[in-house]
Amino acid sequence: MNTLMSAEGITKSFGATKVLSGIALSVAPGEPVGLFGPNGSGKTTLVNILSGLLLPDAGTVRFDGKEITRLPLDARYRLGIARTFQIPHPYPALSVREAVRVALVPRLTTLAVNAWKRKDGGGTREDEEGPTEDLLARTGLFDQRFVPCAQLSQGCLRRLEFARALACRPKLLILDEVLSALSAADEGDLMELLRAANRDEGTAFLLVSHNPPLLKSLCRRILVLEEGRIVRERTV
Amino acid sequence: MRDAAPSRAPKVSLRGGTPPARSPWRGGGWLAAGIGLLLLFPLSSPDAFFLDVFTTGFLLAAFAASWDVVGGVSGQITLGHALPFGAAAYSCALLTSFAGWPLPLAVAAAVLLAAVVGAGIGALSAPLAGPFVALLTLALGEIAHEVAVGHTFFSGPGGYAWGGEGGIPVALPWRDASPFSSYYAALVFLCLATFGMLLFARSNSGLILRAVAGSPITAQASGVPIARFKRLAFTVGSAFAGAAGAGFVLHVGRATATDLSLELSFQAATFAAVGGRGTIVGPAVAAIVLHVLFQGLSLPPSARVLLYALTLLVTLRFFPRGVAT
Repeated sequence: MNTLMSAEGITKSFGATKVLSGIALSVAPGEPVGLFGPNGSGKTTLVNILSGLLLPDAGTVRFDGKEITRLPLDARYRLGIARTFQIPHPYPALSVREAVRVALVPRLTTLAVNAWKRKDGGGTREDEEGPTEDLLARTGLFDQRFVPCAQLSQGCLRRLEFARALACRPKLLILDEVLSALSAADEGDLMELLRAANRDEGTAFLLVSHNPPLLKSLCRRILVLEEGRIVRERTV
Repeated sequence: MRDAAPSRAPKVSLRGGTPPARSPWRGGGWLAAGIGLLLLFPLSSPDAFFLDVFTTGFLLAAFAASWDVVGGVSGQITLGHALPFGAAAYSCALLTSFAGWPLPLAVAAAVLLAAVVGAGIGALSAPLAGPFVALLTLALGEIAHEVAVGHTFFSGPGGYAWGGEGGIPVALPWRDASPFSSYYAALVFLCLATFGMLLFARSNSGLILRAVAGSPITAQASGVPIARFKRLAFTVGSAFAGAAGAGFVLHVGRATATDLSLELSFQAATFAAVGGRGTIVGPAVAAIVLHVLFQGLSLPPSARVLLYALTLLVTLRFFPRGVAT
């Protein structure tokens, strides 16, 4: 089986508390994987290590054949690993549209530089507007595009997290409790968005959730984490 | 190919929001009227003292706007912004007086030095956040100030006052520039520098800096290398502060230790708080108004410091986002 991301022997302690003990997991390209576990089992710590927010005490993380254990969050995003946060941290002074544009700048800059090298007139304002408006439309935020992020509802904040994460056309999405505490409509829309990204763009994802039915409906494989160890693996 | 995917045509609607209010020309009418009045002011045959107060005010306004690039747009509260200002002032004086460099070359070198100083401050402060950035920049600024105050080469007798005796003179290719020419040169410099800073603040880099100021972790999770952008903010802000410092030393004729003082950094932060942080134009306008008001009253320096402190207190209490906003 091809492997997109793999982790081997991931161990992490905070002081005397051992949170993760020798975690090993892998995600194949385009594979939807779930991560289930009770509170305090180490799910968020594992997600933080896989996304580059935390360094493990021991173990390695590989992505696309390269070791990325010490690569920071922003560099992993540019490689194609995007993550969302359990509690969104919006930009208070930016509008929804500006917040999406921030996430698009690295990819658009690369596109503009490549177009400039090819001398085909790329990198114009139209090139920048298209992907921004496309993401806003896909995530259902187009009508709120000029609203300050600080005024968004919880559902819209989660949609914005999705838009931000999808901006880099990720190969792997790491989603930390992104579908919890939402209205049925918001949850349904975001689930469909996730399925579409997986189906149409081949985006693999690692979805962390407390909700087994939701994991079963979205994931092909579910990993169960207890007391810092993966104790079971189920294929759906 | 991933990037070749066709975009969906979104249904255009303005429901739920208003068009962006961050046009660089927002409030342009008031600004144009203000600039027009300032252009006409010397025609009313004012006292040379008032022309000098306004000229200094324009240079301080550019300095305040440059503080806003760092402290407002990118949210890195600096209390050592006088360091690039003073470094440029001293290098301009040293290069023209001691090394005999032509003035344009010395000014360019001074601005470059200020940018390098800013890049250094940015590199040191990039891993820090919030009050620790303010403390680090305060410490760096005060080290430079104390070196200049304590070393007779940098600050001779009486080198503690704006334009007083002491300090290091700058070798100017002209003698006794008329107050009118100084006034107009400073006004043109202020307009050009402010326009340049506005362009930077409205660019993609400015947008990313505002994101870093609002939520560093979300910015980093959006692919932004935040340390690099913090360095960029300090470098650009310091380059403009250096340009203001070079302009200041050309106006007053000598670099003194006051050009590196905490009081100067504090003034810039006060102007930004009053004018509205992150707006660039607001701090510049506040600097002109407050400087002309307080300087025009011919108050002793200690009274002016007290007035600046009171202004800051009142603003933070009643207009936390700035008087204009």
